[in-house]
Amino acid sequence: MEKLLARRSVRLVALAVFAVVLVVAPLVSSPFINYQLALIAVFAVALLGVNIVMGYTGQVSLGQSAFLGLGAYIAAYGVKNGWPLLLVLVLCAVLPAAVGMLVALAAARLRGLALAMITIALPIIGIPLARRFSDFTGGSGGATVSFMKAPDWSGLANDQWRYYVVLVIAVVAFLLARNLVRGRVGRAFAIVKENEAVALAMGVSPYRYKVLAFTIASLLGGVAGFSYLVVVQFTSPETLSFFTSINLVAAMVIGGSASIAGTILGAIYFVVVPVLAGAVNSARTALISGAILLAVLFLLPRGLASLPRRVRQLSARKSHGRTGATAPHNSPDGASSAAPPEIPEIPAANEERQAR
Amino acid sequence: MQYFIQVVVDGVATGAIYGALALAIVLVNRATGLINFAQGAMAVMATFVAFALTRAGVPLIAAALAAFAFAFVLGALLERVVVRRFEGGDPDIAVVATIGLLVLLTGISAAFFGYEPHPFPSFFPLGTVNLFGVFLSFRSLGTIVILVVAMVALQVLFRSTKLGLAMRAVADNPRSSALSGLPVSRLLMIGWGLAAGLGALAGILVAPQLFISPGMLDFALVYALAAAILGGLDSPVGAVVAAAFIGVVENLAGAYIDVIGDDLKIAVPFAVMIVILIVRPQGLFGRKVVVRV
Amino acid sequence: MRNFHKTTRVTGAVAVLGISALLVTGCTRADTSGTGTGASAGAAEASPGITDDSLSLGISSPLSGPTAGPGSCSVAGLYTYLEAKNAAGGFEFGDGKTRTVKLTYLDDVYDPAKAVSNFRQLEGDGIFAYVGALGTPTNAAVMPVANEEKVPQVLLVTGATTFSKDQKTNPWTFGLLPTYFDEGAAFGKLLADAGKAVTVATLAQNDDYGKDYLAGFQSAIEGSDVKVVGSATYEPSDTTLDSQVTELAATKADTLLSAVSVTPLQVGVLTRAQDIGWLPRIFLPSNTSTPATVIEPGQGTAYPALYSTSLTKVPVSPAFADDEEVKAYNAAFEKYGSKITTTYTPHCAWSYAEGAILEQAFKGMTDPTRDSFMTALHSITGFHAPLLLDGITVDTTATDKPAIQGIQLVQYNGKGYAPASKY
Repeated sequence: MEKLLARRSVRLVALAVFAVVLVVAPLVSSPFINYQLALIAVFAVALLGVNIVMGYTGQVSLGQSAFLGLGAYIAAYGVKNGWPLLLVLVLCAVLPAAVGMLVALAAARLRGLALAMITIALPIIGIPLARRFSDFTGGSGGATVSFMKAPDWSGLANDQWRYYVVLVIAVVAFLLARNLVRGRVGRAFAIVKENEAVALAMGVSPYRYKVLAFTIASLLGGVAGFSYLVVVQFTSPETLSFFTSINLVAAMVIGGSASIAGTILGAIYFVVVPVLAGAVNSARTALISGAILLAVLFLLPRGLASLPRRVRQLSARKSHGRTGATAPHNSPDGASSAAPPEIPEIPAANEERQAR
Repeated sequence: MQYFIQVVVDGVATGAIYGALALAIVLVNRATGLINFAQGAMAVMATFVAFALTRAGVPLIAAALAAFAFAFVLGALLERVVVRRFEGGDPDIAVVATIGLLVLLTGISAAFFGYEPHPFPSFFPLGTVNLFGVFLSFRSLGTIVILVVAMVALQVLFRSTKLGLAMRAVADNPRSSALSGLPVSRLLMIGWGLAAGLGALAGILVAPQLFISPGMLDFALVYALAAAILGGLDSPVGAVVAAAFIGVVENLAGAYIDVIGDDLKIAVPFAVMIVILIVRPQGLFGRKVVVRV
Repeated sequence: MRNFHKTTRVTGAVAVLGISALLVTGCTRADTSGTGTGASAGAAEASPGITDDSLSLGISSPLSGPTAGPGSCSVAGLYTYLEAKNAAGGFEFGDGKTRTVKLTYLDDVYDPAKAVSNFRQLEGDGIFAYVGALGTPTNAAVMPVANEEKVPQVLLVTGATTFSKDQKTNPWTFGLLPTYFDEGAAFGKLLADAGKAVTVATLAQNDDYGKDYLAGFQSAIEGSDVKVVGSATYEPSDTTLDSQVTELAATKADTLLSAVSVTPLQVGVLTRAQDIGWLPRIFLPSNTSTPATVIEPGQGTAYPALYSTSLTKVPVSPAFADDEEVKAYNAAFEKYGSKITTTYTPHCAWSYAEGAILEQAFKGMTDPTRDSFMTALHSITGFHAPLLLDGITVDTTATDKPAIQGIQLVQYNGKGYAPASKY
């Protein structure tokens, strides 16, 4: 118990340091760094949506970029027509959520790959639609907007102000999502992910919770689209690209499935790795990014969020030999019961390996 | 009427491109229960081997055989070295590993050959057959014939050979397969090797039309995935039929529905697919999966 | 429940800490001056990215992904020109100094968000100007930022009209190449001038590239006997255009305007039309008309005539093998540009010529400032850049046109292109 308390206070301090860094960083950084930080906040929200559907509820979603693009287009249209920004933000949340819910109402009876295929279809259909309705979207040339300039009283530069705006949006989204996944709904998600039949037996409707998860993910995708427009000030059909969806899924797993901290790490990965690859050799970015992705998966198959546990695990293995390695998994107390989906997988994977 | 038939025939020819890759996806899924996003990138790499050989003066048929051999080894090796580590665990992680392979292999191909598309020789001459005013090019005809042969061969492999049955058993339940004495590790490698070989075949068949470049099959992969899933994922026949279906529906919508036009026609088969999957989640030819509790 | 209270308390503490941190640091950037936004203090004060012996340029183009071929060439040609000149002693500037010019290039995968990110990065690294980037959506996303920050975003390797037509609103941006509109118009004019009834089928990419082409063509045939009898579009992601060609062949048009920018698809159009017995005169756009990669694989000689537009000599064509400029280009490219790409697209030649235009601007620069650079860059007339065909010159003085003007309409003669004068 004492250990637990100590851990909690360590976490508190870490959280406080993290918050101070978040607030102070843009004041001392270049516009380029701020742009990266702001992009991390943008994609963290989109990734949070992916994580709620995939990580927490266990459903494959390969269409998040469609909601990101939809949100960005709604924002661009609203800004161009001079609507109040708060209304625009609300629309960016509500409309994609409604679209996501409609799709999910039809599709959530499916599972696995059939469901995945329907989500793949969203960006595939969305891109030509975006080109077709050019009055609304600006067509293939995209929509350029200029808004969210730093107000005079703030004394901030535009890049700093925009960073704070998207940071606030991200923080609110994360706090709400954290409460959601740690509460009753989160437990229901976990049961649906574990076994739909069991969920039914327990009186949890898998269909309803899948629709809910998709709706929340679409909502977060739309909000991320609003943030995207704030930061980039431009959107085009490229925003909807299917490959963005794929990369988001990769970043979600790299960060850590069913983990809030992992979502943030995944967003950092999503934004920073291409920059790193460019720094190494701009003509070889694909090769370098692919190698980094595989390397992380090999070292930390359960994502960057598992790094502390992995380090502990490895050091335990070193000092205690083979028998010690399994010890950390068998502590079903406070910290780990907060994230139930994490428990059952490791033993299963181990069994499988022994079987071969 | 003649125009209608022409539009349908063109659709089948387009579908053949997706179908070839879809077969490879089905094979991997049958052998390992996974979806392999790197299937296209592996195929492209093997096709580049054939490309380099033909450029060095090797006859196409020999170059193609070399590409098969290369693809088989590459597939088996990637299964053993990379994918094996993630099998049996969370399937999401295994799928993301194949996404990593997709990016990495594309990068390697590009490092050697650049991103610009290069012409690639074909087994079949240019030109067309003209049947009552409907045109079909020799290349499309050849692709379709080879595709059907491959499809039948796969069907026979899974239904009637020991190897095929053993592979299916391993995909279904690796643990019991191991207990009953099947060489699970080797079977998994063979499954990936064969799928990669099939991918190489697909690559060599479509490269004359698409031109060889690292991203040659990126877009085709999406269609191929759709065909594989729509067809039922465990059925070679289903994958090929679904691929042809996608090609035909897309073409018909573009040709006959003015509102749809050339830009939105891609949306039609996907919309139809959504409806079909909602009615028949197991796909057109798939068997219903019984969920164990 | 206990957990929940804890959460709110933590959140509160974090918020208080954050706000106090904000107050302590005084809400302002420590070094606003270092980011290089304003060089308004006086003519003598140097802009970022330039010293007495060096100048740095930046570019972001797609170097991976489907558009990486042209993207890599938009870097490689420029890099070749700059490095060759550096090795020969450097560039002479209008202020009497000699500087070496460094080019930093980044990959944006044709993604607008990444392009803005790269622009920010280059700006942070202290580039003097952003030059020669390829891509319409990517440059469109960078344009407002560049103009806000007053960083030159010039000689862009794109034919979209957006970047050059309104330089009063966006004074820091303009393009290098004749627009797609001009290309389409040049061909339309050829048909209109023929003075007879011509039927035309059009096939265009479903985006601004295709639309500009068609708009130019339409404007030129206005009021003539030339009639468009069929039109189709395609997506760059399509795997084949057979169905579009089938549809257009049904119109039996005399002429096909094939504004297809994807090489394999353009080859597919050429093989398909003859396969189904349709042999129109065909117009090919400048970026998909290279004999070795398009016409020969597509067996283009089957058609009565193939037209295209051309700006530059083709360094990879034997027809130009003895040309002095081509020899110089090939030698330099082997040494420098081949590090970035080994495959030729016309963009390599275009961006090589772009290097010479930059050199011309440097010569006219009297102060080491961006303002002076823009003034000098906008004062070039009648300049012959290497590799440009005779009759095509650089004129940067108009505020609604790109740098290179004049399009030469050419016709394929079985080996290469020769000037085309009539239909």
